[in-house]
Amino acid sequence: MGEILIGIVIIILCIIIYFQSGDFPYFNEVHLNAGSFPKLIAILLAFLSLILVISKVKELLSKRAELEKVDVKVYVKKLIKEYKLVFFTLFSLLGYIFLMQYIGFIVTTILFIIVTGYVIGPKSKKDLLIISLVSVIITFSVYAFFQNVLHVRFPTGVLF
Amino acid sequence: MFDLLILGFSEIFQLRILIIIFLGVIVGVLAGLIPGFTVAMAIVLTLPLTFGMDPIAGVAAMIGVFVGGMSGGLISAALLGIPGTPSSIATTFDAYPMAKNGEPGKALSIGIWASFLSSIISLFLLVSIAPQIARFALMFGPWEMFSLIIASLTIIASVTGKSIIKGLIAGLFGLLIATVGADPISGISRFSFDLRALRAGIPFLIVLIGMFAISRLLVLLEQKELTKDSAEKQKDKLESVKFVLQPLKTLRIVLSKPGNLIGASTIGSIIGAIPGAGGSIANIVAYDQAKKWSKKPEKFGTGCEEGVIASEAGNNSTVGGDLIPTVALGIPGSAVTAVLLSALMVHGISPGPLLIVNEPNIVGGIFFAFFVASFWMLITQFFGIRYFMKVTLVPTHVLVPIILFLCVVGTFVLNNRLTDLYILLIMGIIGYLFTKYDFALAPAIIGVILGPIAEVNLRRAFMSDPDWTLFLTRPISLTFLILAALSIAFTIWQTKKSNARTKMIN
Repeated sequence: MGEILIGIVIIILCIIIYFQSGDFPYFNEVHLNAGSFPKLIAILLAFLSLILVISKVKELLSKRAELEKVDVKVYVKKLIKEYKLVFFTLFSLLGYIFLMQYIGFIVTTILFIIVTGYVIGPKSKKDLLIISLVSVIITFSVYAFFQNVLHVRFPTGVLF
Repeated sequence: MFDLLILGFSEIFQLRILIIIFLGVIVGVLAGLIPGFTVAMAIVLTLPLTFGMDPIAGVAAMIGVFVGGMSGGLISAALLGIPGTPSSIATTFDAYPMAKNGEPGKALSIGIWASFLSSIISLFLLVSIAPQIARFALMFGPWEMFSLIIASLTIIASVTGKSIIKGLIAGLFGLLIATVGADPISGISRFSFDLRALRAGIPFLIVLIGMFAISRLLVLLEQKELTKDSAEKQKDKLESVKFVLQPLKTLRIVLSKPGNLIGASTIGSIIGAIPGAGGSIANIVAYDQAKKWSKKPEKFGTGCEEGVIASEAGNNSTVGGDLIPTVALGIPGSAVTAVLLSALMVHGISPGPLLIVNEPNIVGGIFFAFFVASFWMLITQFFGIRYFMKVTLVPTHVLVPIILFLCVVGTFVLNNRLTDLYILLIMGIIGYLFTKYDFALAPAIIGVILGPIAEVNLRRAFMSDPDWTLFLTRPISLTFLILAALSIAFTIWQTKKSNARTKMIN
């Protein structure tokens, strides 16, 4: 199922790329311009994805009888249980990236490590203490290294 | 032939660089040791730290991580029977039984010696072969370069992963990602869809960090119960293991089987040189071959010395092999060497057949850093193995957020752009979906790094002569294209055969 979706998404992407490739300004290139190589890749990629989609659809159709037995609700529940932490981590990472420019690098980093570590790991007070300590130490040492040795300026936001 | 090595000696033999390599080796060993933390991940994360260094020191640090990482898997493979990295799967076949038979010290030290000696053998092959290949490649025109890239991408797609079509899709997807941003010849901005984040293109390293580090971490999270279990198991086991390393005695054992060692190292080097095939394949093939050549094949799997030597020699010698096409042609065979090349590019050095001629000190530095790293690996493994073992105790819930944070920092440091972080997140998700559905990541990564080179060469070829049949009439170019076609055909044939076999069994 997933392969079919990935294949379809890639095909759509190829179509977009293909039609975007037509309208680049020409210079004195006679044979290949800026759009030719992407066009070539898009055609090949769409072709291969199409083969993949077709073969997977065939597979799916042959297994249809088995699939009808599966209870959708149970399946979704199982899926959520299995991937709960993956989704959570993705969202916390997104939040971290988004908030960094407003609240500042140091605060968001410490929060991100503590929150993510706490949700993933065991929920005892001792673990919370350890992860908090680790996050503060790591954040400040990385910050100091990059700021002083490589002269990188991290986003400061309103606080630091 | 060895003038490059001597040049490298003068570049590398400074206290500062020696210490940098030492630290790199330790990081690599740790990465190889911790299950779920890969060498590719470690090398990606060390890269930002090297931005402040001069190119030679930076590359030397990464070679250290590479060499250390290849040998790090040995510890958990021998003592726990769990491969810390895919490269040490075959090590568990014999080293683990040997450790269980009451000789864990012997298993470890044989493995360490085999890793060290095979590294030296593969270095010798690297130093003698790479310059010849580079000299040959200087004859290549744009036709040959383009065909070479096509050949390496198809070989990578067929070697890695389970299905060739998915491998090819991944490779082409990588090529497509690489076309976003400025056109390499005329500089027109392409496919940025008016997003500011995309105008500068999708930097290769961000794709790499997203696909190799973030996606790996996400996978780690879903099997959490599983890893937690094994981590707990390791706890009681590792603390109870007591062993004595006997460096001299085991060195004699390893040296008493020169055929075994040299054979496995040569296999490892050759496999390492094939794009896409790395330690994970080499260590199994070398083990298999050693079994076939052995006079007592029935002893394999029960804790025999030859098995440990073959598997560890097989995986460590891929380092030298992997560096051959990287240095000589500018074509990385694995994610690790791809990072190495991009590190050179960050410093403004363009890889390719001209690298040895233009930057002999860099190439010599790579060679000699490899030599030094092998020595450090030997020393750190013998003296530090007891401390390294403790590291497997770092729990997942501490490891994951910290590595995610390091990924974010690494990405940000690259260009000081916050928008890059969103690209990182998206690449992580794509990488995760790819791994979930068995699309190999290596072709995508190599596609991204080789994409611009392929495009430039294709267009140069047409600029100098619009006749496209030249790709087929120039003999070297034709050879590469035939190689590409053969690798696809062979893989399809092989899959059909194995499918038929499974049907027979059913």
